[in-house]
Amino acid sequence: MEYKVEAHRIMSISLGKIYNSRIQRGGIKLHKNLLVSLVLRSARQVYLSDYYSGACLNAQSEREGNEWDIMDSEREKFPPSATECDRAESPEEPQQSKQPEASDKEREYRENDDEVKSDQADCTSTLQQEQNPNPSLDSVGNVSPPETINEPKESPSDSSVAERQSTPVANGESHQAPKTHVCSNRKRSAEESESGDSPQKRTKVASSNSKEDEEGEEMDTSNVSNLITIFGSSFSGLLSKDSAKPEAEAEDSGQICCDQMLKNLNPWSTAIVAF
Amino acid sequence: MHLLEEDQGRCVKADIISTVEFNSTGELLATGDKGGRVVVFQREQESKNQPHRRGEYNVYSTFQSHEPEFDYLKSLEIEEKINKIRWLPQQNAAYFLLSTNDKTVKLWKISERDKRPEGYNLKDEDGRIRDPTTITALRVPVLRPMDLMVEATPRRIFSNAHTYHINSISVNSDYETYMSTDDLRINLWNLEITNRSFNIVDIKPANMEELTEVITAAEFHPNQCNTFVYSSSKGSIRLCDMRTSALCDNHSKLFEEPEDPSNRSFFSEIISSISDVKFSHSGRYLMTRDYLTVKVWDVNMESKPLETYQVHDYLRSKLCSLYENDCIFDKFECVWNGTDSVLMTGSYNNFFRMFDRNTKRDVTLEASRENSKPRAILKPRKVCVGGKRRKDEISVDSLDFSKKILHTAWHPHENIIAVAATNNLYIFQDKVN
Repeated sequence: MEYKVEAHRIMSISLGKIYNSRIQRGGIKLHKNLLVSLVLRSARQVYLSDYYSGACLNAQSEREGNEWDIMDSEREKFPPSATECDRAESPEEPQQSKQPEASDKEREYRENDDEVKSDQADCTSTLQQEQNPNPSLDSVGNVSPPETINEPKESPSDSSVAERQSTPVANGESHQAPKTHVCSNRKRSAEESESGDSPQKRTKVASSNSKEDEEGEEMDTSNVSNLITIFGSSFSGLLSKDSAKPEAEAEDSGQICCDQMLKNLNPWSTAIVAF
Repeated sequence: MHLLEEDQGRCVKADIISTVEFNSTGELLATGDKGGRVVVFQREQESKNQPHRRGEYNVYSTFQSHEPEFDYLKSLEIEEKINKIRWLPQQNAAYFLLSTNDKTVKLWKISERDKRPEGYNLKDEDGRIRDPTTITALRVPVLRPMDLMVEATPRRIFSNAHTYHINSISVNSDYETYMSTDDLRINLWNLEITNRSFNIVDIKPANMEELTEVITAAEFHPNQCNTFVYSSSKGSIRLCDMRTSALCDNHSKLFEEPEDPSNRSFFSEIISSISDVKFSHSGRYLMTRDYLTVKVWDVNMESKPLETYQVHDYLRSKLCSLYENDCIFDKFECVWNGTDSVLMTGSYNNFFRMFDRNTKRDVTLEASRENSKPRAILKPRKVCVGGKRRKDEISVDSLDFSKKILHTAWHPHENIIAVAATNNLYIFQDKVN
């Protein structure tokens, strides 16, 4: 368990570094951000592997199970997005798929996990990404972010998931669309639930600690629906903070002046303003 | 090795020295700082009157090399910090050096002027133009001595060739070309031509998602003008031969040591990233610096280094805290002495370390005003790791990590070293017997 705490801490520190590198003078430093993303990836792998071995068997896992059930039921409501996600991402990072024990919950989580790991790769990749040849990005990127920021909390989760369904998932890079606007969600819910970063949010849902117990009672429907949105879009929301930001950073450090990159920048600047 | 200390403190407010370099004769020492300035020191001629003042270094020239710039296209500020200075070999009375910030390399000419022409016909001594109708007689201007003036002029500006941040420059032994290196590419320039450069290494992947390593440093071979090496963030060094192809993406040699699995941690990748690579003066050996060690490689043996020296292994258990305070990203440099027998590199708490390759002895010294007086012999320091702390030792936890020595330089022929400690420059010499 202490590995998990350590990994979690390192993850939040890494995310903080990536975030701070945006405002550093002289532009984003590619080398440092690459190293930070490697640390983030290692910590995350440890964190997730630890979740596998330990957390599910805990005494308090029952409550987690409830939350996971909620999440699972939501995922059943929107199966196309999840499976498309799988299909899109598994060819990209096949070597990262884990082999968990075959339990229902864990199997569902494994699909997420593959996506998580792919997202991790995406996270690293978008960190230095220059090219984003995803044609669907234009439509989604433009439309959704302003909505998510201005509208009340419930509707963004609906609109973002709906958008996600309608977007043809051509390749794994389409995740950037949901990432972009889900991150706004996550930021808002982050503010409200007083947890600053994604690993803590995951901890809140998945792991067992006293803080979670206290906050569990305070969690209302709106918080849960945000979490559902995050999990429903295959964990991209958890990494959205560091994946969308590095994506924007990468644009800064890369030399791409293509329209898609510029459009990606816009939602982020509004997100930063809102934050 | 006994050392005398001469404190040549730079009286600059909060200007951190970012590079130090002796020229090829050791007569000049250049430093660059975060404010974009270059200060050049010149060694005094030795005089018989003051034998103990054996060639001190005094300020020779100061100039603003780079200014902060703004890239409007990317909305990015370009820092004026001087990343590297490299001297060109001297070919006439003037001195030439290359200085670079993140994006632009400049060739500076430093020349002396100790005479000035007087007696112009068309203008006054003040420089005002005289009315030609008032000139009744012609005279020939003569050169009269004046106070020595050292002026620095930019002779070439090599810009717009790098998308990423330049981390090294290296002058070729042909004295006609040099290379500049950023995170993903190495460009070859002719010193005379500023509007064209040739890309000789490009490790940028077609899909940036696949990026796994960046170039951290590069250097030309000291004698072979076709050979250069570059180091990567993954701990490998590649030696390339420019005769094989125009684009040297395929290395001729790859120097890599397999990772020790027992030392695996979250931060293994960071501490294996090489921060500096230097050829020995002979060209037979390579020295690399990663976060905790200095390694010497034989150019003919790629499988493992010849020698590995621990710089501050007591930090291995503190990597997490060093990651938090960003110290783990510090890029330490390393230098050879003139005969390639001693290595020197910096550490924290204003400590710097020297390793004698022949005797296998090493010493830790400190560059600080408080602990040493001018002309005193430097006392070796020791860091104690746990257990009982002896009187003169410092415990790991009381090390000051804000005082780091990243940049050092060694005179090409003599035992004179320059050590940059934040915004102070220390110059140490061998004791005169």
